[in-house]
Amino acid sequence: MRIEGTGITQRKASGKIVKHQDQGFSFNEESDKTVEEDKERFEDARKEAKRQLEEAAEKTGQETEGDEGDIFKAQIQFLNDPQITSNVEEKIEEGLTAEAAIEQGFEGPISQLESQEGRMAERADDLRDIRDRLLGILTGQEGGNLPDISENSIVVAENLKPSDTSEIDQSKVSGLVTAKGSRTSHVAILSKSMGIPAVVGTGTLEGLEDGEKVLIDGENGEIVVDPSEKALEEVEEAEEIEVIEEHVETKDGKKIEVAANVANSGEVGKAAENGADGIGLYRTEFMFLDREGPPTGDEHYKNYVDALNQFPDERIIVRTMDIGGDKPVPYLNLEESDNPFLGKRGIRLAFDEGKDLFDTQIKALLRAAASENGENLAVMFPMITTVEEFEKALERVEELEAELDEEGKDYEKPELGLMIETPSAVQMAGELARKADFLSIGTNDLTQYTMAASRTDSQVSDLQNPLHPSVLRSIKKTVEKGHKNNAWVGMCGEMAGNPELTELLVGLGLDELSMSTGVVPEVKSQADSIEYQRSSDKSEDILNMSSVDEVREKLG
Amino acid sequence: MSSRTVEIAPKAGLHARPASKFVEVVQEYEADIKISDPSTEEKPVDAGSMLAITGLGLKKGEEMEIEAEGSDAEEAIDALEEVITTPEE
Repeated sequence: MRIEGTGITQRKASGKIVKHQDQGFSFNEESDKTVEEDKERFEDARKEAKRQLEEAAEKTGQETEGDEGDIFKAQIQFLNDPQITSNVEEKIEEGLTAEAAIEQGFEGPISQLESQEGRMAERADDLRDIRDRLLGILTGQEGGNLPDISENSIVVAENLKPSDTSEIDQSKVSGLVTAKGSRTSHVAILSKSMGIPAVVGTGTLEGLEDGEKVLIDGENGEIVVDPSEKALEEVEEAEEIEVIEEHVETKDGKKIEVAANVANSGEVGKAAENGADGIGLYRTEFMFLDREGPPTGDEHYKNYVDALNQFPDERIIVRTMDIGGDKPVPYLNLEESDNPFLGKRGIRLAFDEGKDLFDTQIKALLRAAASENGENLAVMFPMITTVEEFEKALERVEELEAELDEEGKDYEKPELGLMIETPSAVQMAGELARKADFLSIGTNDLTQYTMAASRTDSQVSDLQNPLHPSVLRSIKKTVEKGHKNNAWVGMCGEMAGNPELTELLVGLGLDELSMSTGVVPEVKSQADSIEYQRSSDKSEDILNMSSVDEVREKLG
Repeated sequence: MSSRTVEIAPKAGLHARPASKFVEVVQEYEADIKISDPSTEEKPVDAGSMLAITGLGLKKGEEMEIEAEGSDAEEAIDALEEVITTPEE
């Protein structure tokens, strides 16, 4: 049997169906708390929801340009909608729990939107999603059955909302099918960022039963139920060709490391499966968020060792906590900043308010470097602007080594490097590289700071483009200064994952590119077909351009 | 209190993206801003609520009244007029 819909991500996959069902939330109607307490819980849940949405928007990054990215933005707007919040607060004043007040307070707005035409009616789904996200935060329940799925699952649902998908173990999902949805739905964004096929808008889920084997074709928008052995073999073969396990080099022999960005040790396995040459950015901030108190040293240690063991032959670069600013940590009591992106974030927190957190993390990393596969560990510091900051971080590492000595614990010094993401760090790249093993360019922030254009302000989105010659020249300068001072230079921003830019980046002399797991195979096959000398000459040409348009024209 | 009546230019009316943009601009100002449909007797609604303003069902070519109270009321109205009189490309 075949079912048709709109195909997303031009790949095929096979697996067993897991049907996602909304199971609803359970909670009490009548509150045993004071009205103030329930209002505060509502307020806290909204803050957390906003943070999650911003994180999701950032995670999906470039692929959400235009309409698609608006899903999260519109949801944040609704989250702050005074009419909705006052609706809910009124219900709380009537003696309901925050949960029941949210459920009832959203009813009116949802039906109001449903009664409107066209695109506004679609927004009713956004409201339902916000409601479910808030209820999920307050009750600690998932509201669905997705968390416990087995390998190679094809997730089948009426519709998948951001709140449903944030809990999925992405490494186990090989495809998505939804009855509703279109090219611009959340599920399409998710499919692209995960690099797995999806078929959306099938209209019906009839004939798709739990546990049944299906083949899904993202190119032709087709689902085949109970496919033939031959068809399945074809899919497996096609997948095998796409993943390049071995390290790649250009035609003229320059090695290019193609690594993956991950946000937790659970994603490391998927990166290895996709043929990544290691982890170029292990973001650790998510360990600090979403919780009442800071993570313990043992938690840190366990995560890092787990990651190292999953990828025993490749380098894993852990970035120390990049919190503060737009990623607030409730238990840190930080002062609010007028402009979080220019405020206290990253390394700027590591020596005072965030000192305990930072120390705990560094000690765990030093211990992890002495574990079985620890020689592959590298550590980098975010948001460095001055040489002193980096020196101070290195000194702190030494002091903590001394502490571990006293405690009689095993440790090793990992490779130590830093993120180049501010114009100041670019200017000082030579001095920094002299003290570092490596530099890693974070293009999202480097673009934001070089162009003086906030990442979160759509009014200046034209300036938020790493192809501006000023950004490209900053990259070039960083690579040159790094190499001159015996540091290797990588890139871990969104830019690195764009296969259309691989030739340019290789030509600029980068040694490593780190990106979303889903795009690793494509970038690897690109790198394979490049001639370094030619791309280097071409990049020289491009660096002489004076506008994005000229750069684009040269890129061809 | 300042107020002004303006004609809606975007094709989508006060919905979808223009409405979203409108709310975004409202939130940039201190002033207390409300809007209403001058062709009805309905009470003005909170201009900072996406839900409330789209609920008015205002379409392209129709008029809307913006009223604002506060230190930056005039600037706010100017900025909102610009949003609502710019046809979307």
